[in-house]
Amino acid sequence: MSAVPIRIKGFTNEVLSWKPWLDPVVVATATPAQLAALDEMSPQARTSPYFLVLAHQPEMLLQRSIAFNAIMFAPGGMPRAERELGATVESRVNGCVYCASVHAQRFEQLAKRNDVISQVFEEPASAGTTAREKAIVEFSIRLGAEPDKVSAEDVRTLKEAGLSELEILDLIHSVALFAWANRLMLNLGEPVFPAAAAS
Amino acid sequence: MTTSYDASPSIDVIDATVPLAPGQATRTLRLQRDKVVAATQGSYDAMFSPAVEGLSVAERLLVALHACSVSKAATLAAHYREQLLAEGADRELIAAVGSGAPVADARLRTVLAFTASLIERPIEGDEASVGVLAEAGLSTPAIVALGQLIAFLSYQIRVVAGLQALAAAEVQA
Repeated sequence: MSAVPIRIKGFTNEVLSWKPWLDPVVVATATPAQLAALDEMSPQARTSPYFLVLAHQPEMLLQRSIAFNAIMFAPGGMPRAERELGATVESRVNGCVYCASVHAQRFEQLAKRNDVISQVFEEPASAGTTAREKAIVEFSIRLGAEPDKVSAEDVRTLKEAGLSELEILDLIHSVALFAWANRLMLNLGEPVFPAAAAS
Repeated sequence: MTTSYDASPSIDVIDATVPLAPGQATRTLRLQRDKVVAATQGSYDAMFSPAVEGLSVAERLLVALHACSVSKAATLAAHYREQLLAEGADRELIAAVGSGAPVADARLRTVLAFTASLIERPIEGDEASVGVLAEAGLSTPAIVALGQLIAFLSYQIRVVAGLQALAAAEVQA
């Protein structure tokens, strides 16, 4: 992670916490189905207030976890950094500060740079350091904000920018997944900034 | 494996609502991400499972119809309308929810207002809105189910829209 954190228009690449508005499931008394759903998500999910709230519906969490990992980590197709970029753009457009911070960090880990992240935080509509990146960002905004307006023309624009059909499918899945994730994060709790967490 | 899989008729709700036909290029493309296909249908099944308590299947289908109508996702709205009819839901209620007309039931009105807000303006989510759901009689697991359902619908609407664009580009290529 860069020494100086990005802080632009309320968005950041710093590590944030998240405070739920509902009581999380308690691991000690969780059912086997709840524990299986948490473990499907990640080794850290048992200590995450977010996943512990979602564990109230274990089958929904289980299926969502499988979908999440299949979309973000599947081999081939769109480079993982670009999937993280699509996720970050969708989170920025929806105003999900927590999701944007997590996936900005993942983009940076994979791409070894964060120039486009600063641009996305500043003004998503014009963000992108290359023609390909601009096309990815523009499509992510469009699919996120106005899915009914997405057309064959948008697909052609992505192809002209060099994306294969599998890469376009991966981008669609990534943006759609964060339409899902943002709405959970924004409506079941709130982000907590480092200074507030320390006090 | 992909070849035999692709010869089957519509395998899931996404295929049926885009729609994608067996052998169609966009469907073959979609099946390259077979884990996503399976988990998307698995999520749908979980969202509308009768085993989920605190929010009836009919209530969940009404939420889905409202979310898809608000999002102008016509083929998905038609899918949920059909499911509601199959569930035996009242035709006038289906028409009202699909067109955004007010409904008489206070609990349903609260749930649908939360749905429209979360679909269109997710940033406006706050603790008070969750409190309103609790006051309307929803348990914590029911509120989580509702939040997951609306969030999943946002995903499903975008997957269908994206695949429709890919299929349209395929036709025009």
